[in-house]
Amino acid sequence: MKLVIDPRRCKGCNLCVKVCPYRIFRPGRRPNERGVVVPELDRPERCANCRLRRLYGRTICGVCQLTCPDQAIRWEEEEAYEPRKVAVEY
Amino acid sequence: MNFMDWYRADRLPTIFCVGCGNGTVINCALTAVSEVGWKREEVVFVSGIGCSSRAPGYIDADSLHTTHGRALAFATGIKLANPDLQLVVFTGDGDLAAIGGNHFIHACRRNVDMTVICMNNQIYGMTGGQGSPTTPRGALSTTTPYGAEEGTFDLTALSIAAGANFAARWTSYHVKELTNAIRAGLETPGFSFIEAAVQCPTGYGRRNRLREPEDMIEFFRTHSMLRQKYDRLLAEGKLVPPDTIVVGEFVRRDRPVLGGKK
Ligand SMILES: Cc1ncc(C[n+]2csc(CCOP(=O)(O)OP(=O)(O)O)c2C)c(N)n1
Ligand code: SF4
Ligand code: SF4
Ligand code: SF4
Repeated sequence: MKLVIDPRRCKGCNLCVKVCPYRIFRPGRRPNERGVVVPELDRPERCANCRLRRLYGRTICGVCQLTCPDQAIRWEEEEAYEPRKVAVEY
Repeated sequence: MNFMDWYRADRLPTIFCVGCGNGTVINCALTAVSEVGWKREEVVFVSGIGCSSRAPGYIDADSLHTTHGRALAFATGIKLANPDLQLVVFTGDGDLAAIGGNHFIHACRRNVDMTVICMNNQIYGMTGGQGSPTTPRGALSTTTPYGAEEGTFDLTALSIAAGANFAARWTSYHVKELTNAIRAGLETPGFSFIEAAVQCPTGYGRRNRLREPEDMIEFFRTHSMLRQKYDRLLAEGKLVPPDTIVVGEFVRRDRPVLGGKK
């Protein structure tokens, strides 16, 4: 699962920053085209729901989604991890 | 079904201000409704007037947005006309306790089978921040520029004294507990009252040194006390700060119900 913030719904209240026990949300830095400073995600793969929802078959934690007053937080299905070739430049 | 499926996506984002607590309470209420498994056709959402009362307009189900203070009167009518419908009422502290005060105590007395969720932001949000019956002593509002001097209503205690079958209080910080309390209220026959303390950064926080939405959430986190602990401290004769928000379930009983399922 992948955590996403819908930039068309978020109003930039930063309540998600306040409530996530893993501190996955950080206050954003630049306003988007709607003038809203949407929070940034810091290594969202740490989110309890991203990691454990499949295993338990229900929402785990989910506090940010319940708290978000503007229904902007959701999880998207993600392709299984594929090893990628990374070109390293010397 | 997730609570998101209950929203009318075309109506989002809401009209509420940045960081307004009303959205959080709607999330919790819809989660509780999904958990008890009610279908769209069997539940009606009713409200009066106020920011909080705009909630049903964002929900994809039958709803009534009635006149100021009269949500409970309309809801009683729906329940008596068709007892098979489940009723959820969204209301504000002004809507419920000021202009709607009489409807509130009499709906509790009759113990009409419905669940009432009061978003208590301690202010009249929609009309620009006038003091309400729950504005705490000393708080600033446009009608109390030198600090409120009147006493306040304890809405939960009022509902219990008037006869409600279920009463609980939580805040917009306690999303899981609030969801569970609403669910217990939905499952209890008779009048279920859930008071949710919410932040109104625009009308209340801005004038009372709680400008950012997170300031009020932090206030709820640090000033809430479980009912059991509060009772114990009182019994021991200890002092409890006057701005404490006592949270938890206060009553669950089985008084005769009006309008229950036949
Ligand atoms: C009969 C009547 N009187 C007064 C008003 C003006 N009015 C609209 S909303 C409101 C107060 C709402 O406060 P509350 O119920 O606490 O809801 P909030 O906006 O704070 O969520 C008032 C006085 C009205 N619409 N109708
Ligand atoms: S809680 Fe929701 S609206 Fe507020 S900043 Fe986070 S994503 Fe945006
Ligand atoms: S579900 Fe919990 S852990 Fe995951 S981002 Fe939200 S608050 Fe953080
Ligand atoms: S005025 Fe207060 S209650 Fe109304 S939308 Fe704004 S923050 Fe919410």
